[in-house]
Amino acid sequence: MDVELRASEALGGPPVDRDDASAAFFDAAADGRLAVRRCVTGDGLFAPEVARCPRCGAATVWITVSGRGRLVTWAVVHRSPHPALAEVVPYVTAVVELAEGPWLRTRLAVDDASSLAPGLPVAVAFARPPDGESVPYFVLEHAR
Amino acid sequence: MTGAAIAGLGITEVGKVYGRSAADFAADAVRRAAADAGLELGDIDGLLVSGGLNRRDRVDLSLQGDLALTDLRLLVEMNAFGASTGAMVSYAAAAVTSGAATAVACVFADAPLKPGRSAGTAYASQGRRAVAGFPGLRTAAGAVGANIHYALAARRHMTTYGTTTEQLGAIAVAQRAWAALNPLAQQREPITLADHQASPWIAEPLHLLDCCLVSNGGVAVIVTTADRAASLAQPPVHLWGWAQGHPGAAMEHGSALGLRTGAATAGPAALRMAGVALADVDLLELYDCYTFTVLITLEDYGFCPKGEAGPFVADGRLGPGGTLPCNTGGGQLSAFYMWGMTPLSEAIVQIRRQAGERQVDRTDVVMVSGNGGVLEHHATLILSPHTRNGR
Repeated sequence: MDVELRASEALGGPPVDRDDASAAFFDAAADGRLAVRRCVTGDGLFAPEVARCPRCGAATVWITVSGRGRLVTWAVVHRSPHPALAEVVPYVTAVVELAEGPWLRTRLAVDDASSLAPGLPVAVAFARPPDGESVPYFVLEHAR
Repeated sequence: MTGAAIAGLGITEVGKVYGRSAADFAADAVRRAAADAGLELGDIDGLLVSGGLNRRDRVDLSLQGDLALTDLRLLVEMNAFGASTGAMVSYAAAAVTSGAATAVACVFADAPLKPGRSAGTAYASQGRRAVAGFPGLRTAAGAVGANIHYALAARRHMTTYGTTTEQLGAIAVAQRAWAALNPLAQQREPITLADHQASPWIAEPLHLLDCCLVSNGGVAVIVTTADRAASLAQPPVHLWGWAQGHPGAAMEHGSALGLRTGAATAGPAALRMAGVALADVDLLELYDCYTFTVLITLEDYGFCPKGEAGPFVADGRLGPGGTLPCNTGGGQLSAFYMWGMTPLSEAIVQIRRQAGERQVDRTDVVMVSGNGGVLEHHATLILSPHTRNGR
């Protein structure tokens, strides 16, 4: 828990508001759960923003996943792309492959980016900023 | 039918040119292209337009009115991002060879640069708050803008195949050497690999000198039949082949992000249509929004085995005097950023043998690429100074 608090304080970034499409995702995040979509007709799992199964066209339902995954790729961002990220550069943004298959784009809270490598185990944590919704980010598994 | 050819090229002032809208650049570019071809504006009966990302200042179908063009037989706004130019030219070729139109102007124009704002902020958000919902979540993830997405792609190539930042730097150095020979280039001061390495990180593993310029301006070409082009003012640039490739990779286990692009299917398909092989290609004009884009396109086209483009480019073969001249005007990295019109316009200038100091010897088969999104959309053109039958 200490790790999560420290990291979330350092996370910074813009406050995010919910909308109708994302309300269930942020409800889960507020509850400390990472939600993705599953096709109602099968076992296809998709990223949170995928409202309809791209394979069969059926609706999707929200499911909670383990929040564990592996690092696919990452970038250390030095030139802020957004005013609300200006005070947190340099930061690490990453693509994570969830154990269940989908990829997520996420901040990665890490002390030393030079130690990163593809395949490193990562796990979800949640930033709870004073303003806006709870937002998932990832930490290296061994840091938990 | 003898196929299609590019008969006119119009390039406006490009770079830090302020006070003009995208539509104004577009109209200027079409007028220049028609004049270059030796055509009256009224000879144009088809117009394909594509613009940048700014919705408030974007060229659209009203360009017809800006040019007082009447009774057009073809008028479409097209968008495949950086693949738009290749798409426009191939549809224009289909139009003139089918008889749907006789002279089609294809134009790209954009004006993202504003006075007093750096190029780096030209495409950046202004508000402090993220937009709501999932787009906001992506902003919170810090994954905003092309620089970062290409950095993620390049990193994956590096960690998979051992590609290095120095190898990416070799591309930047080679292209700057070409730009030094191009009077239209925005950046003509030669650079070394050390300069590349010392340039600030934008998003590791990309340095500033891995990233393209940002430019205001417009470029247009006129596509007509090969027969008609032969009687016009400029040496015709014949269109031998074209193809698109859109891999549609999902963001999930097995994705080829950073490892393979639409070039892998578009390149061979365009060569097949042209009836030539990779070994016949004399000159490459490749879309180079980032050095990495050039590197992965070389692999996907098959100029070297997958994963080996790093060592392949490191020996300087892409630069002046090299065995595989590439981006001979300096490209988007050093000349100007007019999306797919940057590589296409240089191909035209080279094929016409109007490239002055940077003119390469052999231009019988020229391969041109366009790349859009984050390596998601690809278009290839195969061009030649010769008619397909006459070579």
